[in-house]
Amino acid sequence: MATISIGLFSSLIGSMNSDFAVKLAETAVNKGHSVNLWFSGNAVTLARKGQKSFKDYSYLAERLKALQENGVAIVACEACAAARGIHKDDVIEGIAVHSMDWYVARAAKSDRVLHIGGE
Amino acid sequence: MRLGVFVSDCQKNDSMLERLNGEGLGIFFVENGVYHAVIHENGRDSGVLQKKGVNYYALASDIQTRGFTTSEIDSRVNVVTYEDVVDLMMNDYEKLIWL
Amino acid sequence: MAKSILFVISRPPYKSENPKLAITHAMACFVADMHIDEEVEPVVAFVGDGVLNCIKNQRSQEFYGIISTEQHIKNQLASDMRMLVCKEDLYRLDIKPERLINARDMGADIDLNVVGFNEVQKEMERCDQMMWF
Repeated sequence: MATISIGLFSSLIGSMNSDFAVKLAETAVNKGHSVNLWFSGNAVTLARKGQKSFKDYSYLAERLKALQENGVAIVACEACAAARGIHKDDVIEGIAVHSMDWYVARAAKSDRVLHIGGE
Repeated sequence: MRLGVFVSDCQKNDSMLERLNGEGLGIFFVENGVYHAVIHENGRDSGVLQKKGVNYYALASDIQTRGFTTSEIDSRVNVVTYEDVVDLMMNDYEKLIWL
Repeated sequence: MAKSILFVISRPPYKSENPKLAITHAMACFVADMHIDEEVEPVVAFVGDGVLNCIKNQRSQEFYGIISTEQHIKNQLASDMRMLVCKEDLYRLDIKPERLINARDMGADIDLNVVGFNEVQKEMERCDQMMWF
């Protein structure tokens, strides 16, 4: 089985890119692939704990937790998060925070990289 | 190089798509990109569909999300599921870009 | 043997965070070997409206208090990072070569490399991974 790194740069709300990325990660994991999920730019909002589910907005916190429990490495960009007031204590349990070198290193070693740009 | 291009928008990137070529180019219509496969603006097919030697795919759930049925999809476009997308990414395309 | 990642920048600066994130991610490649047993070589290519990032005399620091994309590009040139600029897009947008950023004042040995899109495509084939911003 292969390794895929998905880099996501779109925000949780206001774009369906996040929903696409999470669904793709779920599907890849279910097929036995190894997945890395990187949040940078506005995508760091996905990592913030305390999100409330509304029917009009994407809500991915529970699915991210399930992905993490299934072995997906989920990491948010440290600088992008801190710039938005999201610090390590504000992040969903199980999601890590690293600098960008973590992502480019994982991407370099992956079989496939899908880099989903921001707005 | 087998390049897979994800098109998630219906109103931009045509010029960049025109330039990208190569044997076995694949274009994945996802999110609002699926409109390329169903809309006939001013009676014409999307310009994106005019490329030769390209394999086109459109995500079924994104088509249906927007009120279309898969039977309305242009005959050049293969209707795919997320499972198909993962398999295509892993087996048929070495590099992937998201426009 | 080093792995290579091509960072393609297709959007203009400032309205979108994407170009700066591309540049900072490219810079992070220089320390990626902290995590893996290989070095990671970054290459940056400006295509489409992304070539607008390469115009010199940017004054974002003065007007908005944020470091300019120009300064990032200069830092990368001074770090010997290969940076390609699409010739056809410069022509399309009527950007003359004398308007392009250089980092000679920082002692850089290399300049932005203006190339045809076919050369960018060759780099897309050569690289191990590609990230399109």
